[in-house]
Amino acid sequence: MNWQADDHAALFRFCERLEHVSWIAAVNNWVVSSVLIELAHYFGFFLLVGTIAAVDLRVLGIIGRRDTDDQLGKQLFPLMWTGLALAILSGFVMFAGQATLYYPNPVFRAKLLVIAFAISFGVVVQANLPKWNRMPSVSNGARLIALVSLLLWVAAILAAVEIPHLTYVP
Amino acid sequence: MFRLVMAFTGWLQNTPLALAVGGSDWAYPYIQLTHFTGLSLWLGTSVAVDLRLLGLIKGTQKPDRLSDALFFLNWIGFGIAIIGGGLLFSISAQNYVLNAAFRTKLGVLLPLALVSHIVVQRKSHAWSQTPKPPVAAKLISSIELMLWLSVAAAAVSIPYF
Repeated sequence: MNWQADDHAALFRFCERLEHVSWIAAVNNWVVSSVLIELAHYFGFFLLVGTIAAVDLRVLGIIGRRDTDDQLGKQLFPLMWTGLALAILSGFVMFAGQATLYYPNPVFRAKLLVIAFAISFGVVVQANLPKWNRMPSVSNGARLIALVSLLLWVAAILAAVEIPHLTYVP
Repeated sequence: MFRLVMAFTGWLQNTPLALAVGGSDWAYPYIQLTHFTGLSLWLGTSVAVDLRLLGLIKGTQKPDRLSDALFFLNWIGFGIAIIGGGLLFSISAQNYVLNAAFRTKLGVLLPLALVSHIVVQRKSHAWSQTPKPPVAAKLISSIELMLWLSVAAAAVSIPYF
């Protein structure tokens, strides 16, 4: 991809317009709604990370018996994706409220990149889990994918907490 | 009582560990990471069981099987969350105890949430004996869910008090 200066400028202007959308500004400026949005974001990622971690740790053999009848995955994956949806929706509202600060922020961009990879690995885990559950013993490839999946989500949380620490975004 | 709490928190935030973490220019995000990772494991697994008992998560195996499967990860998550939370607290212990949102979170909401969680965990076997969990199961699972949401809401509100 060859980003021209114009593309960046256009996206930045879009971010400026986002910040001034009336309901976005209103929601982010009222204490009650901004607390609720933050709450939704935290709860969303707690559910997301907790459930995928439970699945990944099982594949890794670190905790729990193998999910030989797929029941754990079947019950947890809907909750994982619901948590992700909640985190993305609330995250967008928070982003939009200060889009011009977040958009150029390298730590925020790193966070989004890590999340993109983490979601991809989550999809791979979900798609392969039935096959892995039927193996006589879990292959090293499967273990590696589960480990990377887990570490990527931890890295996503780390990137998120580094944003206010390393850069000025309140 | 107030003097006792102030004395304890004053001591705590001046311990070598608290001073080292508070004075470090890189450690704080990792303490937050510990707290949030622990909470993810704890709440992800707790909420999954609540939603299963409420029938919002469907499964062919009984809810107590899910609860048993997640039991160890659940409490390991709790332990990690407490370690992270304890370190966060120790950095500015006195400011935290003077904060109404924090006091509500830790003094009122967290104990209630913990009790409701233990009830759900211990009753999950009894509640899984019928095809659909009884009304009591749904009631207490809902209460647990709402209490953890309140704990998180109180935590998020700390900066505003």
